[in-house]
Amino acid sequence: MGRDSCEAPFISPATLRWLFLAVIVVVWELVPRLGLVPSVMLAPASEAMIAGFQDFGTFARALGITFGQLASALIFAYGIGALAGLLLGSVYFLRETLLPIVSSIYAVPLVIVYPLLTAWVGIGPESKVIFGALYGFFPMALSVAAGVQTVDRQYILAARSMGARTSQILFQIMLPASVPSILSGLRIGGAMTAIGVVVAEMMAATGGIGFLITQNRTMFNTAEVYFGIFLVLILTGLLDMFIRLMERCFTNWYPKET
Amino acid sequence: MAEVTDSMAHAPISSEKFDLSVEQVSLHFETPNGVLKAVDEVSFGVETGRFVGLVGPSGCGKSSLLLMMAGLQKATFGDIIVEGEPLTGPRPQDVGVIFQESSLLPWKTASENVEFPLALRGVDKAERKQLATDMLKLVGLSGFEDRHPFELSGGMKQRVSIARGFCQDPRILLMDEPFAALDEQTRMTLGDELLRIWEGHRKTVVFVTHSLTEAVYLCDDVIVMSAQPGRILERIEIDLPRPRTYETMATADFGRLRDRIWRLIRGSE
Ligand SMILES: Nc1ncnc2c1ncn2[C@@H]1O[C@H](COP(=O)(O)OP(=O)(O)O)[C@@H](O)[C@H]1O
Ligand SMILES: [Mg+2]
Repeated sequence: MGRDSCEAPFISPATLRWLFLAVIVVVWELVPRLGLVPSVMLAPASEAMIAGFQDFGTFARALGITFGQLASALIFAYGIGALAGLLLGSVYFLRETLLPIVSSIYAVPLVIVYPLLTAWVGIGPESKVIFGALYGFFPMALSVAAGVQTVDRQYILAARSMGARTSQILFQIMLPASVPSILSGLRIGGAMTAIGVVVAEMMAATGGIGFLITQNRTMFNTAEVYFGIFLVLILTGLLDMFIRLMERCFTNWYPKET
Repeated sequence: MAEVTDSMAHAPISSEKFDLSVEQVSLHFETPNGVLKAVDEVSFGVETGRFVGLVGPSGCGKSSLLLMMAGLQKATFGDIIVEGEPLTGPRPQDVGVIFQESSLLPWKTASENVEFPLALRGVDKAERKQLATDMLKLVGLSGFEDRHPFELSGGMKQRVSIARGFCQDPRILLMDEPFAALDEQTRMTLGDELLRIWEGHRKTVVFVTHSLTEAVYLCDDVIVMSAQPGRILERIEIDLPRPRTYETMATADFGRLRDRIWRLIRGSE
């Protein structure tokens, strides 16, 4: 599709992507080495790696903590968000009353409630899970609600004429028809949840990568800070892979891209 | 305002004779500019096994009438009697609808779409798969069971829709401009196929179309409606012999009937 109209590319897009990443790493290494930027501001890639592996135990423990908090927060953000979105989008009364409110709250920078949250549940892992889930909940719920609202009325009429009950319409028509919006909810909601968890760790925490980054920054351990950032990128990369996997599983009824 | 023929408007309707009877049905919508009479005191009956067409200018209430006959829309006044019982909601065993091809569920395969009405009523997987395979064969789509709608042409999708309608197996099938989105040739072929399947299954059919040629070609009777408020102008019996072929369309009788419908519709606008 579209292939015949343009020449076959020299290098495949996938190779180009990796090449692009490699260039970033090389620049990351060379810019501080060549003295273009002082190394307190930007530690070379190799130094960041060495720092990380010297303190491997500490970083591995932090990664485990953040991963666990992120996974739990995602379960809540996705689960409660999807259910809320399905109801908010499909039940007329809720759509008219609650949906506009939920949509306004989404615009509020939720960081403002974090101090309150820590006052209620402490600065342990619970506050990170709740805060991350809260961050991811809104985009997930709003995407699903938007998807449910735009379901083609013809599908619903056809299903009703074939005798579908309300629950059958909800789960056999509304839900599958909203898959594209649900997937975009997974993507945006996932990214927001990751932000929520890491930001919460950076503000007040006892462990996790965000906590390590803040701690090392105050001590001017630039290499360790960059290794922490590197680990956050690895986590979000994993999240991205998970979402791609979901996309591949649920969209075999779309025209294929290539 | 066009005159409503006496025999039509006041014909006593005894619902026993009919599979489906529409009795003094009106549908009003509240709009910012007052009440809109989409359908105004419409009455007619459809006898068992008859193929009845519904034509009229765009916006005259054909789709609204069909939705009411399917139990998907409540009439403001009047009753729709199916099998002697007034409709209060969808009755899938009695009335089925074939919509335009865009009502196929895109995430289901052709076979799953055809099976869907059976799945809803709890028919077991193996049995409904067999029924769907047979029905797809009947519409000429053997080998396409596992394709998704995006992999099928417009004509093929409409064949799937027809298969789904017949697989649901209601006594009465309602169709709302099922071929409207198709090109002329596909439309003709599908019309012939629909007649062929109908000859085999003899369902009672109400067929909405904006093509007068299609109406005369397919139907036993054509009900002609006027522009707003939607009323019945006349019911015309199409006494052309069956089976009808391409040659039928070239006959003088065919032309005469189509002209008569055309004049009725033009006169009402
Ligand atoms: N839900 C609705 N609310 C208000 N007006 C409607 C609604 N549905 C249909 N109408 C109006 O009713 C009239 C008949 O519509 P319809 O049954 O779709 O006509 P047709 O199928 O013959 O073109 C039109 O004027 C249309 O605008
Ligand atoms: Mg219409």
